[in-house]
Order: sequence, then structure tokens, then C-alpha cells
Amino acid sequence: MPEKSKSSPQAIGYLYGRRTRIFSLLGLGIILILIIGIATSIGSVPIPLGTTAGILVDKLPFVEITPTWQDATATIVLDIRLPRIILAGLVGAALAVAGATYQGLFRNPLADPYLIGVAQGASLGAVIGFLLPAAWNLSGMGVIPVFAFIGAIAATVVVYFLSRVGKTLPVTTLILAGVALSALLGSIVSYLVISSGSKLHSIVFWMMGSFSGSAWSEVFLVLPYIAVGIAVIVIFARLLNVMQLDEEQAQQLGVNVEKFKIILLAAATLITAASVAFVGTIGFVGIIIPHAVRLIWGADHRFLLPLSILTGAIFMILTDLVSRTVLAPTEIPIGVITAICGAPFFLYLLRRRKRAIF
Amino acid sequence: MIELEMRNVTLGYDHHPVMEDVTFKASPGEVVGLIGPNGSGKSTIIRALSHLIRRKSGVITVGGRDIEKIKRQELACLLGVVPQLPLLPSTFTAFEIVLMGRNPHLGLFEAESRRDFEITRQAMARTGTGKLANRHVNELSGGEIQCLLIARVLVQETQAILLDEPTANLDIGRQEDILDLIKNLCRENNLTVLAAIHDLNLAAQYCDRLILINDKHIHAQGTPAEVITNANISRVYGAENCVFTHPVNGLPTVLLSALKKKEIGRNTISQR
Repeated sequence: MPEKSKSSPQAIGYLYGRRTRIFSLLGLGIILILIIGIATSIGSVPIPLGTTAGILVDKLPFVEITPTWQDATATIVLDIRLPRIILAGLVGAALAVAGATYQGLFRNPLADPYLIGVAQGASLGAVIGFLLPAAWNLSGMGVIPVFAFIGAIAATVVVYFLSRVGKTLPVTTLILAGVALSALLGSIVSYLVISSGSKLHSIVFWMMGSFSGSAWSEVFLVLPYIAVGIAVIVIFARLLNVMQLDEEQAQQLGVNVEKFKIILLAAATLITAASVAFVGTIGFVGIIIPHAVRLIWGADHRFLLPLSILTGAIFMILTDLVSRTVLAPTEIPIGVITAICGAPFFLYLLRRRKRAIF
Repeated sequence: MIELEMRNVTLGYDHHPVMEDVTFKASPGEVVGLIGPNGSGKSTIIRALSHLIRRKSGVITVGGRDIEKIKRQELACLLGVVPQLPLLPSTFTAFEIVLMGRNPHLGLFEAESRRDFEITRQAMARTGTGKLANRHVNELSGGEIQCLLIARVLVQETQAILLDEPTANLDIGRQEDILDLIKNLCRENNLTVLAAIHDLNLAAQYCDRLILINDKHIHAQGTPAEVITNANISRVYGAENCVFTHPVNGLPTVLLSALKKKEIGRNTISQR
């Protein structure tokens, strides 16, 4: 039975697939930088792309460009548009990675970052924040993000303890507990929303998500959570591949499954909660971006995760661009745009590839 | 070279005992077969030895060390398992599935090296799965997946191998190939092999020792000739007088004959 061993190595196909994906990563990185530049120059005050590029490049270390622009233009680019675009990119990357992580961990294509209660927990926290008397407002940040963050984390922690069976955390129980708790919190939120009177509009607007008014302070608050969370998840990418076999085989291949689940759940929940706290519960990105990446580049998490980071960031920056420009000066809630722009593209991908994707 | 041992072990799920007072040993260089009726607990023993379930009482040792004190990753370097036809994720290629066998040998920040690819290539060549390398696993047959799983356990480079029905989905040619391969590996590398095998004849021909399990207990253990006897087989399986001697190798062989089964089948046969 043994075959002639001198035939061309099977690894070639595998390595070839790797190489194309590495080029795709580089390509997407370049596209992301271009999109940041383009998105920064579009807005209520149009700024030529060259000027935007000059202002941005000037900010890089060791680069000096003699300014040909006014200070006001630089302020629009650096302090108004750029933080918003960076925040959109961060949130898009975070939601896409969190979605890919939950899908991989639960081996369930319907999983999204909000599956185990983060969204409803954050909504409840935010709604309570909205309904508090204005005098309670903490410093400049406002009380909403703090409450939303606490709500998101608390909901996930409750789901986690509800689903523990002895020393294990069965994935199905976790999903069901998450769905049930989300329903419970969701109905409380609905009740609070309809009885919120004059605040109804701002609450609904928050829940659909928006990047309006983002400042550097928010970027720097969110950045550490998202950076650390994403780093942890990406480190475990190979083990996430092994987890795709099933939990028993993963254990037999040396993965400490229970510890692994807790670490990844914590990391994914943290980055989701940090994103949602400032910009609201933006839907669709977390479930669709990882699937789109899988359709195009395959399911190896070592590429799926980084490619999702870049694709998620690009997608979110573009949708935010649409949301603030199409009906300017009115902003469309970003949750509306993500689905309107993303769903047709995703359905196109789904039709084009007939192979099983999950 | 490691020895697997269970001493007075009780196993079970929740309050429902599946195996009681199990004591046996599997040594380097020997193929030990687990035989017994459906649901007798063959898989449970394999699951306990790979630490998927915890013992209720007794001692389980791998290489003389208590299994509870060995970390998962280290255990996976000592002992590999071929599970009973699991579902594999359809999006991975055969090569990627086999390569996953290297996982226990890699640190968190390590990626597979050229050497890991070479080990994988060799294992696939030995199991006759090389030509499947770039196929997606959802396109493969049960038998091909079985061979991939054997390749994966070879890639794991462990000193002990546990197999749960390794030949259940194979045609007789492949059964022979795979069991020959396992036996050769066992002899060449002094591996400890424990296999749950449904087919008594294959078990008798390929195993050095057999453990016959029935009704939560070990009913008999010893060489195939000691275990596969008319008395044991009729007691455990209810099949009477069906053990013969193989004409070529002299090993016990089980041949069922409807005529010899008293309770059932008599009418249908006599009507013919």
C-alpha cells in the first residue's frame, strides 16, 4: 500500500494556498490605508485627497511636509474625521473578529458577537443610562458608555455561570442560556424604551449604532481592550482550527478545551463590549464579515482572523462614510447601512461559491 | 516506551456505572484488543485512557504516571487516539486534518515547520491517503476518513495508540492493510497499541492479547486462544459452538452458522 514517497510533496498545495492568503493580507492592508485617506477627505467640507494625504503623512514620525493647508483644514482632518474613522475601523475589526471567534468556538455558523447576551446587556445598561437624571452625568464621557459596557459584561457573566455544568461549559447550553437571557433583557429594554417618552428617539438611534461625535478620547479608551482582545484571539488561532474537529478530538490532540473556551469567550466578549459601549449595537458585521472571508479565503483561522480584522475595518469605515454622506447633514444609523450594503454583496458571494462554507 | 494500566477502575456517566473493577495492562510492543458486545464499554475504556472522562475510583496510569496529573498537551504527545468515525469540519482539506496531529508538539507561538510537513507527507503516504491531500474532507468516504485519522495519529508520533473500531468502515482489503500497518508500527517502534475491535476474527488474528468485556466487567483476558473459546463466546454473545481453528494460522476463528443457533431461525431454515 505505501505510495512512492518521491512524488511532489502534498504540502505544496497547502503552502500555495498560504501564499495567496498572505498576499491578500498585504493587499487588504494597503486598501485599508487608502480607504482611511479617502474617507478622511470626503465630508461636508470637501478636502482634496492630496491635502488629506499631506496632513496625515505629516503626522507620521520622522516625516516633515511644509504645510500648504490652513490650520482649520488640519483640524477637520485630524480631530474631527480621523478619530471617527479610526474608531469605525477598530469597531469593525473587533466585531468581525469576535464573530469569527464565536462561530469557531461554537462551531455554529449562526453565531454572532451578540449571541450570548452582550447586545441586550449593553442595551439595557445604555437605556438605564439614558433614563437617569442628567445630573448623574459623569465627567465628559457621559454615563451611557459606562453603563452599556457594564451591562454587556454582566449579561455575559450571568450566561456563563448559568451554563456551567460541573467543571465544563457545554457550548449548546451556553448558546441556549444566551438566547434566553437575551430575550429576557430584550423585553425589559423594549418596555423601558416605549415608556421613555421624550428620550425615545435618542435611545433607538443609539441601539442602531452611530459613530457621530467620536473623538480621540474614545478611540484611546476603546483601543486597549480591542488590541489586547484581538491579540489573545489571534494567538490561539491554530487551536481554534483544532477545535473545529470537535471538543473530544481537540482534547485528544492536546487542547485544554475548557480553559481555552473561557479565555476566548472572555477576549471576544471584552472586545465586543468595548465596541458596543461607545457606538451602540451595530448588527450584521459580526456575522457576515467572517462568512464572507471564509467564502473567499477559506476557514483556516490563522488567516480567517487577520483577514476578518482588515475586512471588518474596511467595511465599517465605508458604511460609516455612506451613513454620514448620503443624506448629509442628516446621519443614517449605521446599523441600517451595514445590512443594506452588506447583505446583497454577501448573497452574491454565497451564490457564486457552491462549496460548503462551514 | 510507555505502559498503559488500569487498576480496579470504575467508570461511568453521572450515577450510571458503565465499567466496574477494570484491571488490565498494555505493554510496549504488543497489540491489545478490546472485544465485547455493543454497549459493553469498549469505547468508555478508550475515553477514560485518553482522559475524556474521569474515573470514579481506581488508578489509571500512562507510563507509570497518574493520568490526572498529566497535562493535556503532554498526554497528547504520549498517547494518540483514533476516534470512531467522527464528523470532520467540511472546510478543511485532508492535508490540514492530518497536519493537526502535530498540534501537541507545537508551542503557542509556533507554526508548523518544514519538518512537520514532511512527517505529515510520510504518514499520508504510509496510509495510502497521499492522493487525497488537497481534497476537502466532506468529499471523502468513511473508509478514506478512517485512513486519514490513522495518518493523523501517526503524525502525532506518540508511544501509545488507542483505536476505537479502526476497521469498522473499511473493506476487507483495507482492513488488512490498516491492521498490518498498525501491527508493524507497534513492532518496529515498540508502541503500545490498544484497539476496540468489533470483528472477533480480526481481533484474534491481529492482537497479541484480548480483553473480553461483558456486562460492565472484564469477562476474560489473555491470548486469543485463551479468550475466544466456545464457553466465553456463548456466555457473552449467546452464540453457541461457533469457534473453530483457522486452517492456515491455527488461531481461533468464529464462524456463525444459523443451524447451530437453537432458539431462532430454525423454522425459516427448515421451511426451505
